[in-house]
Amino acid sequence: MTPRLHDYVLSASCYKVRLMAALVGVRLDLVAVDFHPGREHKGPAFRALNPAGTLPVLETGELVLTESTAMLVWLAQGHPGWTGDGSRSAAAQVQQWLAFSARLAASLGMARLHDMLHFPADIDGCRLAGIDCLREVEAHLFEARLAGRLFLTGDRPTIADIACFPNVALAPDGGVGLEPYPGIRLWMRAIRSLPGFIEMPGIHRLHELRPAPERGAA
Amino acid sequence: MKTGGRVTNWVANGLSRDVVAGVVVPGRWQGVDLAIWRSATGVLRAWKDRCPHRGMRLSHGFVRGEGLSCIYHGWTYGTDGRCRSIPAHPDLVPPAAIRAEALDCAEADGVIWVAGAGEAGPLPAVTGLVPLRSLALHALPGQIAAALPGLRLFPGGLRGVVVLGGIQTSLCLLLQELARGQTMIHALCGPQDDPVAVSRGLEDLRRSIEQGVAA
Repeated sequence: MTPRLHDYVLSASCYKVRLMAALVGVRLDLVAVDFHPGREHKGPAFRALNPAGTLPVLETGELVLTESTAMLVWLAQGHPGWTGDGSRSAAAQVQQWLAFSARLAASLGMARLHDMLHFPADIDGCRLAGIDCLREVEAHLFEARLAGRLFLTGDRPTIADIACFPNVALAPDGGVGLEPYPGIRLWMRAIRSLPGFIEMPGIHRLHELRPAPERGAA
Repeated sequence: MKTGGRVTNWVANGLSRDVVAGVVVPGRWQGVDLAIWRSATGVLRAWKDRCPHRGMRLSHGFVRGEGLSCIYHGWTYGTDGRCRSIPAHPDLVPPAAIRAEALDCAEADGVIWVAGAGEAGPLPAVTGLVPLRSLALHALPGQIAAALPGLRLFPGGLRGVVVLGGIQTSLCLLLQELARGQTMIHALCGPQDDPVAVSRGLEDLRRSIEQGVAA
């Protein structure tokens, strides 16, 4: 079957999965869930699918996955490079950043849910923790660049980059500016330049990658 | 700041290698938000961060070839600041009065400098050092200077020889005030210094200065 993603267009975690699928050329059946204001994901019908009442959910035909990082692993299977180069060190580094992406969701992601959808949160604490995360990413990317690497775990993107990218790129929605992070800016540009990249509200594609529309074209 | 009796108002706005060809980034000079961009052929410009059309930030826009386009309605400006095309009126030659507001910008020793149009004196010299990285602190320039008595003030920032990250380094910190009490440090170090050690030393320095400011 075509994998089915229970999806909310404004969710950073749902976008991770849509983006990964687009980058590896996997088609998804999207089922829109009324996350806000309907809270459909907390209703009995949705909980029958995912008792935790969280988005996204991916039905693969064989599995029902409820963690976005697991969905990235599932989608990347059979697409060499996206899970690392096969070495022990790359495998461990990918896991390191997948775990780190949970810190991004709990800090920058929660600040965004607070500001956009009025989630209750310690907003100052979320923003400060988010700035700590951004500083860690920036320092890591600086050292990576010295070694000639553009992405988090090497010279090509992996699921680690896709797991971390959305909540970093959407940080301004939660009141955390990205102005002070030149390394993060170049890293985000490299991800947005990947063939197959798709956008979401708040993360637009690089218009300059295509020629200017012809004058007079519809 | 005064230098040799002449006033300079150059403010470091980043390291050259962080603004590659074909990108636009936000900048700031004396409380004014900027869009700093580099064309496909490498021409660097610093403009006020405001599209003359509807006031959208030009730093949210994109660079295509030798022009900067606003993300809102696609008005495109050439390196001379003049609007050269308006997508909604493809047959209109935009009037010469429609132009982005430019500041002076210059590059030397791997540093991007910005000053008010026609107001600046000579560029501060940071010759002999290599660009390291830029990082922001929640502290004001005076608080940073006070935390680093081993460095001396010079036009544009602080410099001197200090022990940082466990090594002795020739350090230069170019200071740029951002909004909301933040300061951007554009750091340069000696060509022989270990960049990873100095970078980690700067992270330590930031922690201790911010703890001091919070206390």
